[in-house]
Amino acid sequence: MVFGEAEDGVRMSWNTWPATNAEASECVVPTAVVYTPLKELAQGAVLPYGPLRCTACRSALNPFVTVDFFGKTWACPLCSARNHFPQPYAALAPDHLPPELLPHHTTVEYVSSSPSASPPVFLFVVDTCIPEDELGFLKAALTQAITLLPESATVGFISFGAHVYVHELGFSHIPKSYVFNGAKHVSKDDILNYLNFFVNKNKPPVGIIAGVKDGLSAQSIARFLLPACQCEFTLNLVLEELQKDPWAAQTDARAARCTGPALSVAAGLVGACVPGTAARIMLFIGGPSTQGSGTIVSKDLSESIRSYKDLNKCAAPYYQKAVEFYGEFAKQLVNQCHVLDVFACSLDQVGVAEIKVAVERTGGLVVLAESFGHSVFKDSFRRVFESKDHDLGLSYNGIFEVNCSRDVKIQGVIGPCASLDKRGVSCSETVIGQGNTTAWKLCGLDKGTSLCIFFDIIPKELSGAAGQSNSNLFLFQLLTYYQHSSGQMRLRTTTLARRWVNGHRSTEELVAGFDQEAAAVIMARLASFKMEAEAFANLLQLPQDDSDKILKERFPVARLVVCDQHGSQARFLLAKLNPSATYNSDMGSPPGRDFIFTDDVSFQIYMEHLQKLAVQS
Amino acid sequence: MGSPVPPGERPGYPNSTGYPSQRAFTPVPSDSAGALAGGMQNLNINRPPPPPWATQQAPRPGAAPQGMQNSGPPFVPAGSRPMGMGVPFTSTNPPHAPQSSASPLGVMPSGSLAARPTGRPAVRPAGPNYGGAPPVSAPNSNMGRPVTTPFVQRPNAPPSRPPGAMPVQDGLGSPFAPGLNVNSSNQGINGTSPFVQGAPPMRPPFSQGANAMHSPAGFPRSSGPTAASGAGTVPNAQRPLASAVPPPQIPSASHTPSPAPPNTFPAPGLAPSSVPPPPFAVASQRGPPSSSSLYAAQPWRPPSQQHNYPDSYVPPPPPVAGNQTPGMFGMPAPPRHLSQTIPPMPPTMGHPPGSGVLGMGQPGSPAGGQASGPSRIDPNQIPRPVPNSTSIIFETRSNNQSNLPPSATSDFIAKDTGNCSPRYMRCTVNQIPCSGDLLSTSGMPLALMVQPFALPHPSEEAVQVVDFGENGPVRCSRCKGYINPFMRFVDQGRRFICNLCGFSNETPREYHCNLGPDGRRRDADERPELCRGTVEFVATKEYMVRDPMPAVFFLLIDVSMNAINTGATAAACSGINRAIADLPEGPQTKVGIATFDSTIHFYNLNRAFQQPSMLVVPDVQDVYTPLQTELIVPISECREHVEQLLESIPTMFQHNKIPESAFGAAIKGAFLAMKSTGGKLLVFQSVLPSVGIGALSAREAEGRANTIAGEKEVHKLLQPADKTLKTMAIEFAEFQVCVDLFLTSQSYVDIASITVVPRTTGGQVYYYYPFSAVADSAKLYNDLRWNITRPQGFEAVMRVRCSQGLQVQDYFGNFCKRIPTDVDLAGIDCDKTIMVTFKHDDKFQEGSECCFQCAVLYTTVYGERRIRVTTLSLPCTSVLSNLFRGADLDAQFTYFLKQAGNEIPTTPLKQVRDQMTELCISILHTYRKFCATASSSGQLILPEALKLLPLYTLALTKGTGLRSDVRIDDRSYWLTRVASISASLSVPLVYPRMFPIHNLLSKDIGGSILPLSLPLSSEHIDSDGIFLLENGEDALIYAGKMVSPDMLQQLFGVQSVDDIPNNFLLQEYENDHSRKLNELVNEIRRQRCSYLRLRVCKRADPTEFLFFSLMVEDKNALGLSYVEFLVHIHRQIQTKMS
Repeated sequence: MVFGEAEDGVRMSWNTWPATNAEASECVVPTAVVYTPLKELAQGAVLPYGPLRCTACRSALNPFVTVDFFGKTWACPLCSARNHFPQPYAALAPDHLPPELLPHHTTVEYVSSSPSASPPVFLFVVDTCIPEDELGFLKAALTQAITLLPESATVGFISFGAHVYVHELGFSHIPKSYVFNGAKHVSKDDILNYLNFFVNKNKPPVGIIAGVKDGLSAQSIARFLLPACQCEFTLNLVLEELQKDPWAAQTDARAARCTGPALSVAAGLVGACVPGTAARIMLFIGGPSTQGSGTIVSKDLSESIRSYKDLNKCAAPYYQKAVEFYGEFAKQLVNQCHVLDVFACSLDQVGVAEIKVAVERTGGLVVLAESFGHSVFKDSFRRVFESKDHDLGLSYNGIFEVNCSRDVKIQGVIGPCASLDKRGVSCSETVIGQGNTTAWKLCGLDKGTSLCIFFDIIPKELSGAAGQSNSNLFLFQLLTYYQHSSGQMRLRTTTLARRWVNGHRSTEELVAGFDQEAAAVIMARLASFKMEAEAFANLLQLPQDDSDKILKERFPVARLVVCDQHGSQARFLLAKLNPSATYNSDMGSPPGRDFIFTDDVSFQIYMEHLQKLAVQS
Repeated sequence: MGSPVPPGERPGYPNSTGYPSQRAFTPVPSDSAGALAGGMQNLNINRPPPPPWATQQAPRPGAAPQGMQNSGPPFVPAGSRPMGMGVPFTSTNPPHAPQSSASPLGVMPSGSLAARPTGRPAVRPAGPNYGGAPPVSAPNSNMGRPVTTPFVQRPNAPPSRPPGAMPVQDGLGSPFAPGLNVNSSNQGINGTSPFVQGAPPMRPPFSQGANAMHSPAGFPRSSGPTAASGAGTVPNAQRPLASAVPPPQIPSASHTPSPAPPNTFPAPGLAPSSVPPPPFAVASQRGPPSSSSLYAAQPWRPPSQQHNYPDSYVPPPPPVAGNQTPGMFGMPAPPRHLSQTIPPMPPTMGHPPGSGVLGMGQPGSPAGGQASGPSRIDPNQIPRPVPNSTSIIFETRSNNQSNLPPSATSDFIAKDTGNCSPRYMRCTVNQIPCSGDLLSTSGMPLALMVQPFALPHPSEEAVQVVDFGENGPVRCSRCKGYINPFMRFVDQGRRFICNLCGFSNETPREYHCNLGPDGRRRDADERPELCRGTVEFVATKEYMVRDPMPAVFFLLIDVSMNAINTGATAAACSGINRAIADLPEGPQTKVGIATFDSTIHFYNLNRAFQQPSMLVVPDVQDVYTPLQTELIVPISECREHVEQLLESIPTMFQHNKIPESAFGAAIKGAFLAMKSTGGKLLVFQSVLPSVGIGALSAREAEGRANTIAGEKEVHKLLQPADKTLKTMAIEFAEFQVCVDLFLTSQSYVDIASITVVPRTTGGQVYYYYPFSAVADSAKLYNDLRWNITRPQGFEAVMRVRCSQGLQVQDYFGNFCKRIPTDVDLAGIDCDKTIMVTFKHDDKFQEGSECCFQCAVLYTTVYGERRIRVTTLSLPCTSVLSNLFRGADLDAQFTYFLKQAGNEIPTTPLKQVRDQMTELCISILHTYRKFCATASSSGQLILPEALKLLPLYTLALTKGTGLRSDVRIDDRSYWLTRVASISASLSVPLVYPRMFPIHNLLSKDIGGSILPLSLPLSSEHIDSDGIFLLENGEDALIYAGKMVSPDMLQQLFGVQSVDDIPNNFLLQEYENDHSRKLNELVNEIRRQRCSYLRLRVCKRADPTEFLFFSLMVEDKNALGLSYVEFLVHIHRQIQTKMS
């Protein structure tokens, strides 16, 4: 069975599907596709022209179409509409097929001939409420990153603590920054006003989106966002003189850190300057937000950061508000097509739980580490900018669409994307993830970005129209329109055809078509998507339930010892484990693990002992 | 305890080296011109080398570079005094120069002046001149106050008297009240003039003078009885005077201590032949004319108690040839009569020193011979201020009596002998009415002009600092009044009785001292607090709620498009850059800088950084400070950053296209940055605040429309537009932030609204309208420099206490008042005056004394907490005529001025004008009714002390504050200025001085720098003359149409007036005329503590109208002529009488 990962970047839980309702209902695992839109394919074709699309359903030409070579027409396999080939396809013949019709080219990529989009913008948003040494590490990392930036890349710089400082990198006289009150919400309109984008110009009365199109001069934008090569000196100076936040925290309080407002300002800035074009907001934080919208904990140290227990009990006073705030923030970013990346380095929590919605919706990156000096951060951060073999292939502005046969309905997508609310006949009434749409926005995507698309496949016997052409096939077409890291606008289409099975061998075929790994991934996504506080509690409850079930089958009744880590009962479990690190070992405790207080030997020592005996004999 | 600080260590302001005791007017150095935005090169007022700096800058000696100052003699030359009204004593008397070195008065070597880096001061070093001063004995040096009659003068002041030996002006006055006869019915002798010399029988003034002058204290010993006997009867009294050579004159001439030989002052006009008979009769009127009058019943008090203020005075007779001391300005001229006789000649000073009061009605024919001619009023003969150029020494008390203070506008050296110097406190009346009824009958106000940090004369003893250790100063345990010379120690010194509340306190044991035979403590003379009217106490912890604050100076500069384009930003930056060099050094001195347009730009001055960085606060509705520290840093640590920043600000913003100004938000932001310390916020603002907190609208247009429409509420535009700024200002004051505004505008900025901030925080407003970078940069710099270097204090609280019987009614000035008894002064400096009014709540005993005590708790610029206590004890009287004798013209007029300032924003102008006139009339009426009953009703009798009140009142009603055709901003600015104006500057503000400057080299002027000033009447504007008119702040130059091109060439380097550029800068050319003019201008600057803004008024130009509108004695659209006004007043009085 060809699962299609190498060719198409696709894995499906079920590659075949029962044609009968009864059998379909037995399939507990949902039908879903795990799709990696930018996967580097072994034989993907990159075509230097635009796609030919079905006039009815907008599907792109694909190997599954029925071609009438004489009439120069083709029938769309998804909607059965008949289309004419235009002039460029005049030479079409069975032995002279365009690449997109070749059977193995189920995935092709079209490259638009239109000029490249604007280069990506990197807006660094840096927390300065971190210890001096951490700040030093961070500065070093940023300084290095600047040198790694693609030449065309545009940069901006925001630092924050109690207030938000937007650095005007285009101002050459002295370092200059705009300061926003960290306790106050700042909208994009405020940004437009405050940063004097409309000086001596009439501000459009309504519906400002801004950017050059809406009246901002390129000059005024270049005050804040400009090519790295042009502001390297200024930027380095700013970095060099970046200080720990001057509003020094009291010793008995958390630092005043306005992560939320800083992000609002950042989003406002890119939203005002470069809406709709590639931009990443890269947030570097070293602690929880304590000021302004999106606060997750108060400055008072006597109040501890919310834990899962608090969330469970709804005892996290800031949580709900913060989630709402970041939700709105995510919407704004999606509207602007901008990405949020989070680099959080702290021994304590920083509030990713609240922020994550924005990262997810925009397809951003998250890196968590203990310190900005830690290699996890340093190496990850460097990778982001690397342009050689291991680059992440960061791409932007993606729009992902699904077309499918009539008997297939789309329930939704779980993955780093946001619904574009494009409803159609293909939308299922059942919704999983981002549903009720056939198109999604991927503000940011890279080679590793994958989406999990859930389908509602109506058994053949129920779908009236089924059984005509390609009788036992059902098809999906996945279209991804995006800005490639090179700046080109591209469209990747992947067309998939899967079969219905019926009759006595159906079970066998179904099993053969089952992809266990894909199913595991899909289930995991589903679980994590559903996982909120209760969901997590349920998850924890599961082993308890399992053990109860097992115990009921045992006689005599087994003793149940709950071995919480670091609890006194933990020794029972540890004694049963392979004691590779004991109080006797000279290595000390491995990180994150415990000593085992036992004189028992470990498996390794036992094996060494056996080897010795074997050699002796 | 209470040990006086040795002089060398005195922290006292002016004389100690720490402060420049005078204001320096330094030119913008040529090399800095380039730093200013284009078009400002002309600032280089003085061409470099030889005389590198034209006299233009009139550098004050005090402006000498620090090093120079320190190395120089510790004292400051007198001539450099910023405050003095008078000309430096001696510059007029070169012949005496030699003496100068021996003069006890400080002399600054001229060399040190010449060494000033800013260039040779144009002005002749004042020091030597000063020293050359003739013995300062001229008793009558008070401007406008006819202190001495010739009679009294004669005996006093022998020429040989050493300077200072003579108490200035005690008792010199003649008791005669000159009568001004406004006689419409030919009552005059000649009968032809409405103003006839009043024939009322007048006695010559007492001859007490002679004795008085011989008394060691210089106190007149004139016998009361004599005075009494003379009361208003002897008709002949005036005859001798008027008729010709009154014997007194001779002595008076001789009294001129310094030779001032007649030939020095040829004053052709004075030639006997040309001397007309006195135009006015000498209505020598004795104070209480008739015993029948209730109030007049009490004659003069015994001489020793008299301050001998003549309450009226007899215009002098025509001078006798050879005798006359020309009424030269600058002369220690005694001779009132002399000048009186001078026909309306240019050089004459409008009115002779003595002639003060209108002896109107004597048929003096103005230009006629000595014989009485046709009677008419000669405008030259009616009372006008008489300048004097000599310094007098004034002892505040002698023989346990308070002495009448010299005029605030005169040049005097006060010796604190128990009462504070009149510079610090000046009362509207120098004898306190025993009862409230008496006060209200008099029609006079009872108010104190308090200027606690007034700049002393350089020759005055510095205020002594007394440290009582940790117990703090001794105070009355009931009223908390501070120990002062008038607290009476009893019971062998074990107790003392508070002179304010009468409570008997126990003397603290460690403060105990035995009493001498005279009942005084034996140590009284060693303890400043027991023998001085002004002392400073070191404040203990008890007086602090926190550590004394550092001296913080935060500079806030407008960089909006307009400010950039007009060069205001460049001028401010350049001015600041130069001025900060003069900030008091030390770790306690901190600075911060911010700029603003529609946003606020702060600067991080942390020296750890390579350069300052800019932090923009864009939210002008809800301001915050971008950093907690680093915005305000010690000047010693950030001088380079600050200099670099100020140099680059004009460049950084040169393309700024933002027209809006967020003034309100900017000051709020700066305030937030300063909140933790407090300090001075200096704001340079160019346009109307249009965005952010406290934004204002251009309501002036609305005002114009209303005016045209005859709308009655026009004055509302003189009130703040809303309460936002007031609320902010109160908060500023609470956190000890004092705001000064430098308004470099070219359009309406709604001064009425924005000045609420400086007025509430003890700040000041400087107004440069219409701003010209070329013409105003130098003034801006000098104003700023003076602002930051003048004696001043921070976080001050002031309270005035007074003896039981009176209570404080209200305070007026620039401050914030949160509780009724105290005023809070975020900043207080030497230029600020606070008026305090009083009312009776009880009666005083005749013969008792009423004491006023002002205590100011403040922090010095060096971070020391001090209490400055000034005490003034005045006799009480139940005799109305004594009240008039003791009336203080300057203080009373200042009261008028401030009262008008208070009324204008809430009352239609015409009403205020009428109120002011009525106020004047009612005082004169009272006098006429109760103190001059004997005189004929046809006479206008003016009390001697207040004889100029009508003139000043007239000028006031025609001035910026009250005339109707004034821009709203100009009026608002005037109101602001008036609110804190001192007694010494209030008169020139409404009655400017006018000097002819086309004949500065003529012998009339002799050696004096200042020529005689002219009456403000267009009669004196000769068509071939050039005139300079100054009011303490601005100066106008007007050239007649026949003026010689040669003179123009010499003075201004052009052939025709029209060639003088509008933005004109005075330069010094290589000729004597030009040098002299520069000297003159510099001298005025020195006197006024202000860098005069010079403007040229051209014919057929609005400026010409401006110039002539200042001729307040003319009849014009603004009102009556002076003579007509006197007639008007007289009629009103007559009406009231009948």
